[in-house]
Amino acid sequence: MTQFTLMKKVFTFLVIFLSLVSMSLISANTYAEVITDSTNSPAESRLMLTYLCSTDSVTLTANLGIKKGETIFALENALVEFTASNSTTSHLLIKSKTDQEGNAVCKVASSGLPADKDGLVVYSVKFIGNNKYPGAESSFNAKPAKIRLFFSIEDSLRMLKVTATQKNEKGEEVAIPKETVLIYIPRLFSLLKIGEIALDENGTGTMEFPKEIVGDTLGNLEVMAKIEENDKFGFVLGKNIINWGVHKQYYKAEVPSRELWTPIAPLWMIITLLVMLAGVWAHYMYAVYELIMIKRLSKKDKPLF
Amino acid sequence: MEEELNNNQKNSRRQFLKKGLIGAGIVVGGGLVAAYLDTSATETGEKVKVLTTDGDIMEVDKGLLKLPRVSREESHKGIPGRKFVMVIDLGKCKNARKCVHACQKGHHLPKGQEFMKVYLLQDSEKTAPYWFPKPCFHCDNPLCVSVCPVGATFKRSDGIVLIDNERCIGCKFCMTGCPYSTRVFAWKHYPEFDEDKEPYSPEASSPGKEGTVSKCDFCPDLIRVGKIPYCASACPMGVIYFGDVDEDTVTNGTETFQFSQLIHDRAGYRYLETLGTRPCVYYLPPVDRQFEVDRGFGDLEESVKERYKDTPYSKKNKP
Amino acid sequence: MENEQKNLLREFAPQLERTSIQGYTWIIFLLMVIGVGIYAFLQQVLKGHEVTGMRDNVVWGVYIVNFIFFMGISYAGALISGTLHLFKTAWRKPIIRMAEFITIIALLIGPCFILLCIGRLDKLYFLVLFGRIQSPITWDVIAISTDIFGCFIFLYLSLLRDLATLRDYELLQLPNWRKKLYRALALGYSGTPEQQKRLSRATDIMAAMVISIAIIVYSVLAWIFSVTLQPGWHSTIFGPYFVIAAVYSGSAVLIICMWVFRKVYHLEEYITEKHFVAVGVIMLVLAAFFGYFTFSDYLTKWYGSEKNDELLIQLLFKKFYWPFIISNYVGVLLPLIVVGIAKFRTITNITLTSIVVIIALWLNRYIIVVPTLESPYLPIQDSRPEWLNYSATWVEWSLTATGVAVFCLLFTLASKFITIVPVSGLQGEENKEDVLI
Repeated sequence: MTQFTLMKKVFTFLVIFLSLVSMSLISANTYAEVITDSTNSPAESRLMLTYLCSTDSVTLTANLGIKKGETIFALENALVEFTASNSTTSHLLIKSKTDQEGNAVCKVASSGLPADKDGLVVYSVKFIGNNKYPGAESSFNAKPAKIRLFFSIEDSLRMLKVTATQKNEKGEEVAIPKETVLIYIPRLFSLLKIGEIALDENGTGTMEFPKEIVGDTLGNLEVMAKIEENDKFGFVLGKNIINWGVHKQYYKAEVPSRELWTPIAPLWMIITLLVMLAGVWAHYMYAVYELIMIKRLSKKDKPLF
Repeated sequence: MEEELNNNQKNSRRQFLKKGLIGAGIVVGGGLVAAYLDTSATETGEKVKVLTTDGDIMEVDKGLLKLPRVSREESHKGIPGRKFVMVIDLGKCKNARKCVHACQKGHHLPKGQEFMKVYLLQDSEKTAPYWFPKPCFHCDNPLCVSVCPVGATFKRSDGIVLIDNERCIGCKFCMTGCPYSTRVFAWKHYPEFDEDKEPYSPEASSPGKEGTVSKCDFCPDLIRVGKIPYCASACPMGVIYFGDVDEDTVTNGTETFQFSQLIHDRAGYRYLETLGTRPCVYYLPPVDRQFEVDRGFGDLEESVKERYKDTPYSKKNKP
Repeated sequence: MENEQKNLLREFAPQLERTSIQGYTWIIFLLMVIGVGIYAFLQQVLKGHEVTGMRDNVVWGVYIVNFIFFMGISYAGALISGTLHLFKTAWRKPIIRMAEFITIIALLIGPCFILLCIGRLDKLYFLVLFGRIQSPITWDVIAISTDIFGCFIFLYLSLLRDLATLRDYELLQLPNWRKKLYRALALGYSGTPEQQKRLSRATDIMAAMVISIAIIVYSVLAWIFSVTLQPGWHSTIFGPYFVIAAVYSGSAVLIICMWVFRKVYHLEEYITEKHFVAVGVIMLVLAAFFGYFTFSDYLTKWYGSEKNDELLIQLLFKKFYWPFIISNYVGVLLPLIVVGIAKFRTITNITLTSIVVIIALWLNRYIIVVPTLESPYLPIQDSRPEWLNYSATWVEWSLTATGVAVFCLLFTLASKFITIVPVSGLQGEENKEDVLI
């Protein structure tokens, strides 16, 4: 057999082997145990829609679950459609598939949505259903509300004023009365609540801005005003930035310090160690030198006995 | 004759190369597909039932969220601009031990190793006993870091003290250096270590290795995706608060407080302050308790109840 | 060579040339003990440190106790022979080599016990590659390696003249390779005044060095414990305390070695009662110092009665009662009585006392290391009994026995390599004799 034929055989073998390996990898890497739902117990589809209105965008979250008996399972990989419509037209916003927790998210810009003159938009989400599970639909009528934050100083007190407005039938901004607005500062893991404002009939409210809130290194604070989940306008969010925060001081030292626990030892330690080691080994070298000299001397003298 | 042989060889070589390239393509393609379908992520053991549109019920592991792991060199640098601190509210703790179990699951620890330990302490004869959850304090003057001869444990700029398994030689000097008995040692290879298939990162403290030291790490891999540590989110009473002390905020997942205000209002303190280690975990004294101490013995396994049998409280309340 | 030396050699040469049946039996017995130890070590490597009795709170057990113990013994040569050399005491001559051998052999065995305690032996070289100067263990690594090197040079300097003598002794009946070895190691020393001067200068320097290094090494070892915050360890007296305990144990081992070799090689003429009494007196003085330091340490702990010190002392008097009594009472008082009172001052008594002292000092190290770890600031709340109380397993005990066996074996082999009593200079450059008690 020539070398070349041998190489061919080896290579073919390798190809087949590796393909088999990768095929087995594909099948072995399913992370989930699959049990087929063979029962024909009645299943009920539940679709929930959450609406969040920010300053210039709208976020819709749909959660699809199937109720079998007493338990509700999240349905994954289901196709849901988001639409926004008004009294005349309907726009398909997006079609997306639910994730493992049964959620599908749709985020669109507020402008360009089909709204009535008073700004009412009907958002809906639909699950077509299949041979196993019935379809479901959910909708939410929303009139986008806007929250604005204003900062002022009165009698040397820092005040925060919040106004909430909505468009009316004529398209004018009118105040939303008697709602509770929560004021937050966004932090690393969560939102820090710093106050609560009750809106009066004119849709405005004020509160004294708390002192001693840490901002960034320049003292800037991002203040968030939020109306919690509400039947009429869902979640509403407004933001603003003001330089009323305490300047943030970083813990880190300016220069890498030399301590017991730092990567670099304190200077006095290094110097002491080097001096001691040098002293000791110098003596050792002297003793070794004397031994070497003894050996050298022996070559010169003859042994006495 | 020779020319013919040569030609034959050339042809067969060409054919071989073609076949070879196709074969290689299959292998590479197969590998890519396999990698794409490879979703073997960190399993927490907690399963969630999910229905697919085909009507199949799938049991999916809840922790399929693959936490990114940084390299060993990268883990020496702290998360920039942060300094982490924990506040534990002793007034609400009832030894539910959900923090202990969540941490063990998240770090693939065997049942005998606990990064978060819950003690039943009683400071003196006439003072009241209380349940005391103790993670690593990530001290600002860490004696464990000072005594490590090879630099396996280190303090980062964000205050977190981590251990690099690859560097640790297992001399256990750090374990004697820590006055709070925080560190644990892997006395043998535990099968739970094999559950974690990801590459090792000091930020995950997983997979553990026999013959090395490990401890609570404030879960930097969770912090990097904006989540608080396993213990803080698992506690049903919201006992453990976690946050950045520079931005003066701590949260337990549901409530968020200004750190300075919380400590000021509730008289927060640090344990064994006089030792000079400057710990970064603050305790809120057990004032206005929500539960009596004996609630902490409620659902415990016998072996765990055994632990507290020599405490003054247990001795006094012997039936 | 002088007649004296030749006569001595004629008498001592059989020690090197022949090994009796008892000798071979002894060596085989030691090898068997070492074999069991190797098996125990393999168990530990294969199954993990779980086979030892150490757990998360008592992370340092018998291995570290042995380490401190063997390092302590190494002070026999370092301090005793070094100091005696500088004081130029005449009676030191017969026993000085034994002392130096004890030093070197103990220094080789001691660090091996740390290796047994290390979780990942394959990463051991990190101590050199990534060593952190701020860590007391790094100080220890540097100090011990310096000490081994220094003591080796000191031993070699003291062996040099005898190597030359052996090289020149024509009647030596040893295989050729050994004779060649002596020739090579003797460095052509021939006793010329110039060579003698150089040798004695080097020896003087090394004697001084060895004393100071020994003190530093053992202080560093003590600081490994005292710089931590553990109640019971965080004591300012640990440095001097450990040094004194070390020399004390060294002197006791020296007495035992003197007795053994005197019996086995029939050296009654050279190692006399005077030597035993002399070293016994050193032991007595050190016992007094040791007792003083121990008392001082425990008095301050007990009187101040800080909560954790109190807990520790309670533990010592309840659970560790007998080790405490033996190590701190018997171990201190027995030498004082036996050597102090003339009637009891016999060779046998002094040797028996040394044996008790050795055991007492081992127990002393044990009750320094283990009880502190069993009474940390945060109480050990665990349900597993081996996590609450430390008890050494057969692996640890068999490796301890192996350490002792290796010590004896190396010593036996050393005594076969070169005469255990120095031949050269036995009649000494100094003729005055120290007057003793």
